[in-house]
Amino acid sequence: MKFLKPFFVVLLVMIPISAFAEKAKTIEELAAMYDSSRCKECHAEIYARWENSHHARSLMGVQDGLMMTPLAMKGRTPFSPDDPGKATLDTFPCFKCHLPQALVSADDAFAVDYANALLAQDKTRVSKLRITCIVCHNTKAIIHKLSEGQPEADVLYGSKDVASHDDEFFKKIKKGSIMDHAIMCGQCHGLGPNLEFENPVQCATLYGSYEHNYISKGGMQSCQECHMQKVDGFADHLIAPNWNDLDGTKKILQDTISMDVQTVGMDWLLKSKDLKPLVVVNTKINQNAGHRIPDG
Amino acid sequence: MTAKTADGKEVYNTERHYHTQATDCRTNKMLYGAQVKTQYIRDTALQPFETKDESFEIFLPAGVRTVDVTVSLRYEINKPANFIEIAKVTRKVSLD
Ligand code: HEC
Ligand code: HEC
Ligand code: HEC
Ligand code: HEC
Ligand code: HEC
Repeated sequence: MKFLKPFFVVLLVMIPISAFAEKAKTIEELAAMYDSSRCKECHAEIYARWENSHHARSLMGVQDGLMMTPLAMKGRTPFSPDDPGKATLDTFPCFKCHLPQALVSADDAFAVDYANALLAQDKTRVSKLRITCIVCHNTKAIIHKLSEGQPEADVLYGSKDVASHDDEFFKKIKKGSIMDHAIMCGQCHGLGPNLEFENPVQCATLYGSYEHNYISKGGMQSCQECHMQKVDGFADHLIAPNWNDLDGTKKILQDTISMDVQTVGMDWLLKSKDLKPLVVVNTKINQNAGHRIPDG
Repeated sequence: MTAKTADGKEVYNTERHYHTQATDCRTNKMLYGAQVKTQYIRDTALQPFETKDESFEIFLPAGVRTVDVTVSLRYEINKPANFIEIAKVTRKVSLD
């Protein structure tokens, strides 16, 4: 027994580190590294809300259209490879925001596997790739890497310190500096064109709109304050709108956007003795979100 | 928005579109798709703390003195046929 015990401890520590050291070569390997299904046992409410969110289907596109398919098809986009076997991580600049863990933990073989899955329109496999709990609470939790270092392999970052966290890999929770700041979301929600790529890529620009057209007009709320209000005591991880729930989204839109309509009918004396029958309709539309609607 | 006579004949029909419009800066064609969009050249989206004000003047054809005006505010998802109706206002407007 005496010599078994230390062996056991080493093994427990080894699993997460080796899991993060090897680069994923397939969809399944990358999905397993960031798999958050065990979080469900203890964070059931949060998990259930997240599971219905767009973050949980970040490669599926609007109403499951697998929007990155053109990138895998020869000649369809400037990024497309001649054949899927030549795909690399650079083929999919979209990973920057739709699957940031690929840039940290996968290599070009993964891009080939993914390109083939797109061409086969394999929604079951593609849907395994998600912005999971670990992506936000570890991979994207630190932006001041010079000051605070890289996210640690066995630490999750939350809104407070927890000395001993019951998860099998993430033994500790540290208070993250940005968890309650808009820039946490801004990392992926876009400032404008992404000019670091060989060809420009522009998708979400909502964070730019927030910074320059909401804050500038005196707006003070963070994304979290509007989008993650507590539901049943927990920060809402549905982070609505959820475009697969048209009724719920309609309600949100009706609470957000208002329209006033004024009408009048008259005979307009445009010039002497020339009455023109005229109806005038005036509309005023207002919204109370923290950015433009719609985005992109 | 539309204006129709009592017997349902449309005398006016117009639309306003509120969204950003981007090109790839290589031609002036508007484009969709993150892989090609490069720069907004126009932005008519609804902005925070701003009111979108429109005034529509509908000159009625001879003999028409009353119309049913319908204003429908919609959020289009990807294509015009796929939308959420946020508000719909109908009014009978008469000159008499
Ligand atoms: C065995 C149960 C268990 C599992 C599994 C578990 N957690 Fe936790 N977690 C807890 C408990 C209990 C707390 C609260 C500790 C406290 O408040 O003192 C907590 C706290 C947290 C916090 C900090 C909360 C805050 O206020 O900021 C985060 C973030 C978190 N967990 C994320 C996760 C993620 C992500 C996973 C999956 C990778 C996970 N947890 C798996 C039990 C668990
Ligand atoms: C700067 C980060 C970023 C990059 C790079 C990016 N996206 Fe996005 N994309 C987002 C965000 C955030 C959303 C959702 C929010 C929104 O639409 O405002 C989104 C939404 C989308 C949507 C709509 C999906 C839906 O369900 O609403 C499509 C389609 C899309 N992106 C395709 C792409 C493609 C294809 C690429 C690569 C060529 C790409 N994006 C690159 C951040 C990005
Ligand atoms: C790791 C990158 C990332 C981070 C961090 C992130 N998002 Fe997203 N978010 C996305 C992507 C990608 C999508 C679009 C997924 C899809 O294709 O449907 C999205 C979708 C959404 C949507 C759904 C609306 C739509 O049109 O798709 C909302 C709302 C949203 N995010 C808000 C937030 C908020 C608030 C935060 C911060 C708490 C946040 N996001 C953090 C990448 C991110
Ligand atoms: C003042 C409250 C408020 C703030 C602050 C706010 N939002 Fe929103 N946001 C809303 C409301 C309300 C909607 C619903 C309207 C809609 O779906 O367009 C919305 C919609 C969205 C959408 C869907 C946009 C679309 O194209 O329809 C995304 C994505 C989003 N927010 C992300 C964010 C992010 C990221 C931040 C912070 C940078 C943020 N929001 C800040 C209230 C807010
Ligand atoms: C898109 C990024 C994102 C994803 C994905 C995400 N979180 Fe969070 N989470 C946040 C942010 C941001 C906060 C802080 C919210 C605040 O300060 O209002 C938070 C807060 C929390 C908290 C503490 C808040 C509370 O009310 O208890 C827990 C616990 C937590 N997350 C667990 C999870 C779990 C479990 C998952 C996966 C099912 C998950 N998170 C997925 C961004 C995310």
